[in-house]
Amino acid sequence: MKTIAVIFGGRSTEHDVSIVTALASIIKPLEVLGGYNIEPVYIAKNGAWYWDKKLKNIATFQSGEIEDFMRKAPKVQLSIDDGLTLIKSSQFAGRKQYKKIDIVFPAMHGTHGEDGELMGLLEMANVPYIGCGVAASAIAMDKVLAKQVTTSAGIASTPWVWFNAVDLERDLKGTLAKIATLQYPLFVKPAHLGSSIGITKVNSKDQLLNALEVANHYDNRVIVEQAVNNLIEVTLPVLGNDDPVPAMLEEPLLKSEDFFDFETKYMQGGKKGGKKGGSSKHGSQGYSRIPADLPKDLYNSAVETGLAVYRATGCAGIARIDMLIDSKTKKVMFNEINPMPGGLYSHNWNKAGMSNVDLVEKLILLAEERWQKSQKITTAFSTSYLKQF
Amino acid sequence: MISRITSFFGPTYPKTLAYMLQSTEYQVKPYLAWYWRTNNFNDVSHRRSLDKTRRARLLVAGLRIGIALQIIVGIIVLIQGIQKNQVSDIYFGIAILLSYPVIWAHLIVIPLLVARFFIVLPKDRRAVKVSRRIFEEHGAIKIAVAGSYGKTTMKELLLTILGEGKKVAATPANKNVAISHAHFAKKLRGDEEVIIIEYGEGAPGDVARFAKNTKPTIGIITGLAPAHLDRYKTLDSAAKDILSLADFLNEKNIYINNESDPLKKYKKSSYTPYDQNSVLGWKISDIHVRIDGMSFAMEKNGQKLSLQSGLIGRHLIGSLALCVALAKEIGCTDRDIIVGVAKTIPFEHRMQPREMAGGYIIDDTYNGNLEGVRVGLQLLSELDSRRKIYVTPGLVDQGKESMHVHQEMGRLIAKANPTKVVLMKNSVTHWICDGLASGGYKGELVIEKKPLDFYTNINQIIAAGDIMMLQNDWTDNYK
Repeated sequence: MKTIAVIFGGRSTEHDVSIVTALASIIKPLEVLGGYNIEPVYIAKNGAWYWDKKLKNIATFQSGEIEDFMRKAPKVQLSIDDGLTLIKSSQFAGRKQYKKIDIVFPAMHGTHGEDGELMGLLEMANVPYIGCGVAASAIAMDKVLAKQVTTSAGIASTPWVWFNAVDLERDLKGTLAKIATLQYPLFVKPAHLGSSIGITKVNSKDQLLNALEVANHYDNRVIVEQAVNNLIEVTLPVLGNDDPVPAMLEEPLLKSEDFFDFETKYMQGGKKGGKKGGSSKHGSQGYSRIPADLPKDLYNSAVETGLAVYRATGCAGIARIDMLIDSKTKKVMFNEINPMPGGLYSHNWNKAGMSNVDLVEKLILLAEERWQKSQKITTAFSTSYLKQF
Repeated sequence: MISRITSFFGPTYPKTLAYMLQSTEYQVKPYLAWYWRTNNFNDVSHRRSLDKTRRARLLVAGLRIGIALQIIVGIIVLIQGIQKNQVSDIYFGIAILLSYPVIWAHLIVIPLLVARFFIVLPKDRRAVKVSRRIFEEHGAIKIAVAGSYGKTTMKELLLTILGEGKKVAATPANKNVAISHAHFAKKLRGDEEVIIIEYGEGAPGDVARFAKNTKPTIGIITGLAPAHLDRYKTLDSAAKDILSLADFLNEKNIYINNESDPLKKYKKSSYTPYDQNSVLGWKISDIHVRIDGMSFAMEKNGQKLSLQSGLIGRHLIGSLALCVALAKEIGCTDRDIIVGVAKTIPFEHRMQPREMAGGYIIDDTYNGNLEGVRVGLQLLSELDSRRKIYVTPGLVDQGKESMHVHQEMGRLIAKANPTKVVLMKNSVTHWICDGLASGGYKGELVIEKKPLDFYTNINQIIAAGDIMMLQNDWTDNYK
């Protein structure tokens, strides 16, 4: 029986979302699927790693028992010698417990996990893992980099500018002048955060400085985007390696003055937005319509754009592409990529005919397929270079 | 062996005994049979847990007090034996201490037996006697519904359709034995135009006794299938009991389901057959079955009724048609009939469709016979879907016929050819597998060892385009 480690939590503002993704959307269907020994690996907010079967239980986190657990439980060490091995003290006579991991299922959201850092470690360990690789994760989690890559692939975006935190301190005037090239309303976003954290919609110049401060509070790089008129916001979950397949194009239902922020996504069951009619349903992340209510041509165009973004950024396994549509001009614009969608966006995959169990099983197959391919790549060759010295 | 022994002395043992009694409806024989075949009392409740009713709480408290007293007595005897250096007392004390689980598992049935024989049974006999007079004097049309399956459905359909235009009363839920009939009689107001009484037969002589008590004027026999064979022993014996309703009615006003193959050999010319083609001169046509309902038309002497029902399953068309025909016979208007049929919706756990994770489950877990399996699979075959999943633990109470019934069940499943079959692991699983193999089933077969886990995680397995049919229930008192 293969052992699969589900890694979640982390030093991220999306720490709690990651716990729910891991326990509800990954570990539960893996248990139902059967055939795997599931090892939950929790990364605390301070970055310490823990590994214990008890961490599969959501009540451990809800009741605050986790604090007590972390005080008593040994921290986990990692060995990346010939694969990934978890090591922890057994608390008896200095003995250690070892667990060789066959596959890793990262359930991390946000910094230090979804952004390629964890993937780098897993690449070093040469262990198969679910989801995007180092480069795609890093690109996806840097909104500036993602725009640069997709723009170079000919994929449209709304007008945008970016700057570093230091630019605000050293050259506020120049930074504001860059922003002035855009038309209000604007969106000010931290470049690296997901789940809409730290994003502010700015309707006029007097709100701008405050929004920049908020974004800078969360990140050292900020992106400012021009809002899209006649906006239809859509998102497309995608699955696959070389031949990605889309789920259903999903349309979050929002009032014109709203945007899909953290509160809307996770805290209110999506009640912030107004229901526009049709067969709208609560998704795991809010109130949305699946499939999006768009003319067929526009629907297909958005799906093609989503797949083009997935390919251009080198995504693998799973990702979710957010796009903006100007309903008058019918222009589809890339907005963001989420390389580990919250809850795997399983509600959408269910609508597309893939059950939660099928989804995790498919993701494991994709991870193994990608890893097997990577093993065929030559990474070393003999040279006489050292003999010169 | 060790786990069996330790489970006797676990803290949850009294609760487990109460659960076993509750699950066997406080019947001593099945409880004791279950008790003696249980290997591990920590591993008894798989399907549900103890419902903390007043009676259950009293039982648990009684067991705990009794066990505590026995332990105290055992300790006292043991200490005295040690103090007096009496080996026999020491052994006796140890015996008292060790024997409490077995002793209290049996002692607990004594109050139940005493209460049953000296309080419940005499009280029930008096109530039934009173009800006999109530039924006899009541001027309503009295419809008795009997059969191995489909009784509750037929009763509910009659209540819904006839009730749209007439004052109708029916026995509640699946309360269908003599004492339930007696309680029902007490609640009758006297102004009812139609009374519907469901007969829940379980042993030879039941139906004749129910008929004698309730004095029906019309009898409906919904079908014959192997059920309660632990008591009836043979299908023929079950048929004779069910058809004793026709004897009571002198073979007049008897409506018989023409789609029940086993019933056909008992059919007489004086009986009125009903099926999805015709009933009482009405011709049935234009049947359309969807996941969310059905439509059909009935025509007689140039009069046509177009009907819509929320029920699903072609096998229910005959029952609906009989209700419509009887409604016409007793003077209901066409409008009342159409509205009444439109109000028929699936009953809980009986061919009840439910949307889940974009797909559909059809909950037919209250079905408990082979005929129900046959029609369930027929429905699954008829509906359009991307993936069809059939889930069953098998059928309980099949007596000596169990092997044949489950092999036939496997063949029926193979014929329906669902994408995936999930069998709940128990004593009949291998027979269903035999039937699947002989039927040439080539789809995916899963043997599920943890039924509760499966049923509670269906939302993880199903997706849009899937239909999952759940049939039959296998409670913890069956192995």
